[in-house]
Amino acid sequence: MLIISLVLVVTFMFSLGVLAQDDPIKIGAVNPLGDITGNQSSKAMELAVKEINDNGGLLGRKVELIVVDSEFKPEKGAAAIDKLATVDEVDFFVGGMSSGVHQAQIPSLKKYQKITIWAGAASYLAEQAVGPDADWYFHLHPWDYQQGESYGVGWTQIAEKNENVEIGRIFLAYEEGGFGTASFESYEEYVALAENGEGPYAGIIEEFAGASFKSAALGGGEYRAMLRQAKEYDPDLFIWAGYAADAIPMLAQSREVGFEPPLYVGAPPGWPADFEANPLSDKVVLYGMWAPALREVSDIADHFWTEYIKLHKERPATYFAPLGYTNIMFLAEGIKQAGTLEKDVLIEALRNVKYDSPLGTTLEISPSNVISNQGFTEQKILQYQDGKQEVIWPFDVSTAEIEYPFSW
Amino acid sequence: MSFSFKNSYKILLLFILFMVVIGIWNPNALLDGLQRGSLYAVIALPLALVLGILGVLNLAHGDFLTVGLYIIYMLNTRFDMDPLVSIVPTVIILAIMGAVIYLLTIKNVIDEGHLSQLLITFGISLILIEGINIIWTSMPRNVYTNYAYAAKEVAGFRFGTYELLYILIAVGVLVGLQLFLKKTRLGQATFAVGQNPKGAKIVGINVNYVYLFVFTLAVAILGVVAGFMLPRTSIFPAVGSPFSLKSFALAAMAGMGNLNGILFAGITLGIGEAAINSIPNYGGWSDIVFFGVLIIVILARSYRGAK
Repeated sequence: MLIISLVLVVTFMFSLGVLAQDDPIKIGAVNPLGDITGNQSSKAMELAVKEINDNGGLLGRKVELIVVDSEFKPEKGAAAIDKLATVDEVDFFVGGMSSGVHQAQIPSLKKYQKITIWAGAASYLAEQAVGPDADWYFHLHPWDYQQGESYGVGWTQIAEKNENVEIGRIFLAYEEGGFGTASFESYEEYVALAENGEGPYAGIIEEFAGASFKSAALGGGEYRAMLRQAKEYDPDLFIWAGYAADAIPMLAQSREVGFEPPLYVGAPPGWPADFEANPLSDKVVLYGMWAPALREVSDIADHFWTEYIKLHKERPATYFAPLGYTNIMFLAEGIKQAGTLEKDVLIEALRNVKYDSPLGTTLEISPSNVISNQGFTEQKILQYQDGKQEVIWPFDVSTAEIEYPFSW
Repeated sequence: MSFSFKNSYKILLLFILFMVVIGIWNPNALLDGLQRGSLYAVIALPLALVLGILGVLNLAHGDFLTVGLYIIYMLNTRFDMDPLVSIVPTVIILAIMGAVIYLLTIKNVIDEGHLSQLLITFGISLILIEGINIIWTSMPRNVYTNYAYAAKEVAGFRFGTYELLYILIAVGVLVGLQLFLKKTRLGQATFAVGQNPKGAKIVGINVNYVYLFVFTLAVAILGVVAGFMLPRTSIFPAVGSPFSLKSFALAAMAGMGNLNGILFAGITLGIGEAAINSIPNYGGWSDIVFFGVLIIVILARSYRGAK
């Protein structure tokens, strides 16, 4: 009787072990699904999971992606983390976007301390909230200060390469909310540093001015007074920090008031639908992590573009799509290299991953100002040319030369 | 529903003086303000009409404008129809939509007090916004037409020409509404219902029909506004929401049922806003000035009323 009982217990425990091996590896994603960034990021994650499973999964197990909608709301984003941890019992957290939402999620992430690979959220405030001790936390998107530094480096190199390009006088039009004001303050700091011969804009900025406007996204949309001030200032580089809803009316009102700066740069977090098809978009410079044209210079970017369209019957229209794909593939690469899901081993493996991403840049982990596991550290400088987004900097992945000066 | 020039000549003189001063100081601010203020006024007129006749503050007012903008966007992208031509089908679609929504919802709370009315229109607003979000996502969209950003330069003074249409539309809608209220039987019945619904019912006016007609007309007017607005604006699910608040502010500033006053209030606030925007580094103050002027006017009117 005892022997039979022992056999049954051993068999039961063995079967539990086998079942555990057959359980999928669960990845929990939080994205704002009503917004194109979150929507396409989630679809790109689905593509990555499909490709992984088609190739036999990870460690002999299938991968399952569970996506929860944050609705761009901090409280929903935080509740999504709790739901994924307690109800779905996911192994990893991935996602997401919006610094405001992410700051609300950080206490929950700290509570569960699962390995987290976060794609979006650029505010240094989110970085400070994570703190230096979260070794389980990996962040892919460049932080806001890293983005600003990379633009300075980019413009310096572009001006060095193209003698006719001048960046001496900069005018920043910024939306009067937190996003725009933070951008203005960053530029003020860069200018102060540049005056002492320091920082990314040293040697290229001579004068700087700015004016605020009320974004169309927040009930504004009237820019003419601000644009007349910019016209009077006569900048070499005009940059506006607002939202996608401002893009076309801002350009159109610029034309209306006869404002034609040599460099017209837009720095919104996203662009309106079919912006490139609008005749006003030609020669507008923008900042971003990715452009569809990258597929001309990168095999993985081309692979991502082709497979995404094949699976979802739509084109990727935001860099959050290739970033979402990268989010999953980077984790998968780490798991493959670690050969286990054991936390400490996997963290170490992820720190050593070098992933050739569809964003045209190799993803490697290095420390940032606060956290120890930061991924990308720079943005790209892009330009709309004849209805197409071209990469003009960094030069190693550029797809076209800058068209200068901007004109109507 | 009238604004007597005879009784308000001092206000009228002040209004003209204000425009002259701004015009001398900064002609661009005057023109921008006239155009913007006329837009505020033409959007506020239908809200004031519903508020004056039905006594309902429609919190979904701006969202009906959003629906109109998306209908015109759809007609443009699917059928390549010019936004100005799309006004005709859009007005018809919005009128039907307004009538159906009135019959299904607002009609049932018309005698239920302001809280129920506010809640139900707030609910309609949320449904419209989320419905648009589901269909078109939150991504901003635009329709580009070359004529909407045309500019003229006269003696070194450069100005956009398209938004001058806003002034014409605002005056046109106002005159149309006044003629309707004074010169037609239905308009006179509407006026009577707005003054005293019980009395109007006693003399045989079909009050429910008047309510239905006024609400339908108000929503349909937003179709006209949407057609003229679309070439100049980005659209997204919440694009119309801020106009609900501004429209209510204008209605409050003009005084209940004062349609003429809404045009003056809209232009005054529009010019004030444009003047503030023209002062370097003070653009962020425009909302404070907008609502500050509103509060001062309401307080001044209360003070005058108390005297």
